[in-house]
Amino acid sequence: MEKAVHLSAKGGPEVPGEPTKTGTSMVDTAAAAVQSFAPINQIHQHLCAFHFYAYDMTRQVEAHHFCGHINEDMRQCLIYDGPEANARLIGLEYIVAEKLFMTLPDDEKKLWHTHEWEVKGGLLFMPGVPEAIQRQDLEKVVKTYGKAYHFWQVDLGHELPIGLPNIMMAVTRDRQLYPEMVKETEKRFGVSIEKEREARAYMTGPDHGIHPLANGGGKGIKLEVREVDIKPVESVPRVFV
Amino acid sequence: MALTGDEAKVPPGDPVTVSTRLIDAGTTIMQRRLPVREMNCHVSTFAIYGGDMSRQIETHHYVHRVNGEFLQCAVYASDRSNAPLIGIEYIISDRLYENLPNDEQKLWHSHAYEVKSGSWAYPRLPEVVATPELKNIAKTYGKFWCTWQIDRGDKLPMGAPELMMSPQGVGQGVLNPELVKIRDEKYNISTDELKHQRAEIAEPEWINPMADYWKQHGKCFVLDIGTVEMNRNAQFP
Repeated sequence: MEKAVHLSAKGGPEVPGEPTKTGTSMVDTAAAAVQSFAPINQIHQHLCAFHFYAYDMTRQVEAHHFCGHINEDMRQCLIYDGPEANARLIGLEYIVAEKLFMTLPDDEKKLWHTHEWEVKGGLLFMPGVPEAIQRQDLEKVVKTYGKAYHFWQVDLGHELPIGLPNIMMAVTRDRQLYPEMVKETEKRFGVSIEKEREARAYMTGPDHGIHPLANGGGKGIKLEVREVDIKPVESVPRVFV
Repeated sequence: MALTGDEAKVPPGDPVTVSTRLIDAGTTIMQRRLPVREMNCHVSTFAIYGGDMSRQIETHHYVHRVNGEFLQCAVYASDRSNAPLIGIEYIISDRLYENLPNDEQKLWHSHAYEVKSGSWAYPRLPEVVATPELKNIAKTYGKFWCTWQIDRGDKLPMGAPELMMSPQGVGQGVLNPELVKIRDEKYNISTDELKHQRAEIAEPEWINPMADYWKQHGKCFVLDIGTVEMNRNAQFP
């Protein structure tokens, strides 16, 4: 049985591999100069929060979200295991306004988590941004729902992204997260969760309250792999919407 | 028939407001976003759903080279600023791939054909500049999870991730020429011409038959969403 390490302090495994050759890095330099990076340039903010596995709350990971607005009601985020340049891209998250969440089929809703307590509890913050400015945006985030996947189980010490994707959940009440992990994060980023909690007390979550089907509907969620025959070409109906 | 997902239709939602724009502008200045800035290459290529190989999509990979043998890519549906983020692909060297457990190897696809056939392209980058990297990529393996199926009209990301396959020269791995034509016209490139120019690039001596599992075994992998008891140390939710 692999043992999960929940501490957010870095010290995870090194990604194996030879250093980049000079010829290769020259390709990057040239590409960076002539290619266009419009979707990447859209990534405007860095949010730090915690995720746990949707079937195992005891496995908790510090998640650095780098998010861009696709429109006012939706953001899409790349999730890294740290804020450093060489951080590992471990997952992604979609964040939608309540009104979009409400349009999802019931079966889909359980895969999404609420952000109310993450925000109100002070457990989600924007490194390097003055709290007053953070709050202007977090007043919106507090009402949203998120769907997060991790593809790389760094908490198990995986050197490479092996295994299946995992649906992730976020904190919904006190005493779920390991206090020593949270403390260590506070120290590293110079933030006070307690103070922010007070400052954010005025905020209100989703207008219709937390949807009972969200957050797994109270159950754990685990993705399971199934081997299937590839469909023969002839039998495949081509449906394009 | 919309072969490429028309991302103009998705997602629903209001235009970004002035206040959001201002906050975004502020955080852009105040936050360093270091890992994001490491994405230094844009790759235009294609992918095929393992669960239904009649569905092929155009993809835009933004590549972060972590070291000489490992790349991590954010994959978007287009190169526009509002492009939907449709998944993540990891790329590893043949050496790292050979060390993976068998069950894991089944989830990865090879890149040799994608490179040699001209599908894998670097828009706006002269081919001669890209050649050293193409030689590397031809020997690598990729694992691509697609999380937003806009080609089937999903306005929001729905369901479980899909494991994607790479284009191949046989069977359902053969790309629809229409899809390639749309890409070629957009970037003013010729996939056929790239293919000829890349004749020089060596085929890998060995492509592990566990990769592109469907080719040898006629099987693919899909994910089901299972409901289980949560292992927890406190009440949830």
